[in-house]
Amino acid sequence: MSQFSFLERLSVPTYDNDEYATTGRLFIDHEKCNGCGVCSQICPGKAISIRGEGKAKKAYLDEDFPQCMSCNDCAAICERDALKVVVAYDFGLYYKKLNRGAFAPPRRY
Amino acid sequence: MDETAVVAGETEVATGADWNPVERVILERRSVRKYKDRQVPENVVRRILEAGRFAPSAGNAQPWKFIVIRDRAMLDEMERDVVRLCKVFKFFLDWRTSPLGRSATWLMAQTFIRIKRNQLHPIPFGAITLIAEGKLRAFHGAPTLILLLEDRRGVSRPQVDIGCCGENIVLAAQSMGLGTCWVGFVELLKYGLKWRKRLGIEFPYRICEGICLGYPVGNPQGMIEREVMDVDWYEDGAMRKVRQGGDDVTV
Ligand SMILES: Cc1cc2nc3c(=O)[nH]c(=O)nc-3n(C[C@H](O)[C@H](O)[C@H](O)COP(=O)(O)O)c2cc1C
Ligand code: SF4
Ligand code: SF4
Repeated sequence: MSQFSFLERLSVPTYDNDEYATTGRLFIDHEKCNGCGVCSQICPGKAISIRGEGKAKKAYLDEDFPQCMSCNDCAAICERDALKVVVAYDFGLYYKKLNRGAFAPPRRY
Repeated sequence: MDETAVVAGETEVATGADWNPVERVILERRSVRKYKDRQVPENVVRRILEAGRFAPSAGNAQPWKFIVIRDRAMLDEMERDVVRLCKVFKFFLDWRTSPLGRSATWLMAQTFIRIKRNQLHPIPFGAITLIAEGKLRAFHGAPTLILLLEDRRGVSRPQVDIGCCGENIVLAAQSMGLGTCWVGFVELLKYGLKWRKRLGIEFPYRICEGICLGYPVGNPQGMIEREVMDVDWYEDGAMRKVRQGGDDVTV
């Protein structure tokens, strides 16, 4: 069976349609995060914002439509190992992702 | 002899062995999007370009030309023009915000997305909006920009060669403690006459990609998680789907 239907080939999804589009999703450990804001500064999708005051200052993934491209550059720069991507982006239909599995670090075969 | 030297056919790699220095550079490289003002010394940039010069290319055509831009005023002007062009795209194509009205812009966008399926993929489409709104910087404030021009007379697919050349550049820079980021958005500059004239870009050359370069703020490098890719593997008369964690499927 083909992984790509003819209909999918013809259909370009409307990017902001929740029915097809999944943006990247982060897990942010608020126990570890100190709200330093470095991740939000370097995020290419500007998907992270820092909210709260003092000790409650933490990183949050934007709720509305975070343009997270699941690059994990935020995870690389965070000194506290407080966040990482748990869901990869997928825009469905014509742009759906094929032949991919779960996230894993480099593997020493 | 240098003890790290690799001897062809003699260097063994045991399962689970530590990463060698080259693997480390490859695996720890991350795109850098925040730079210090400090300029990269000229000799370092020249050395990095040497890595590009020795990249493989189809038919040894070497279908590239480098333009190095380290002039702050010029970089700022280029950035302003990229922003301006992104604003134009956003005006005509972003149905969420365009003053032209949702349905008209949506129809226009759907048409153009079908014509430019790669350029208007949701990710660059979103980035155009971010750059137009001034939220994302095109060159990330880096002090040096290397433009990779493509010689369109190259053998078979010159853009593949540019990719090899650029990756050599990026990895060499990484090995010298520099940060880099590819800047696909330089492509926008080829739509106007201004920069082609100013930089003297004429046939057979065409702007293909950019790489910005500098000293990173903080420590952006490191190994991260990425999605595992399925691999079709043919051996001993069978095909396996190689998946994560060794649970391969024999077909
Ligand atoms: C050809 C090419 C063009 C790119 N263009 C841009 C760009 O315009 N802006 C940007 O921030 N990143 C750009 N990138 C960087 C990618 O976003 C980045 O490589 C990807 O998210 C993976 O992250 P990593 O490089 O940190 O591993 C580009 C990368 C490539 C290979
Ligand atoms: S870089 Fe880490 S500690 Fe700093 S705000 Fe982001 S998640 Fe929190
Ligand atoms: S994974 Fe990349 S795009 Fe997503 S929030 Fe982190 S830095 Fe931003």
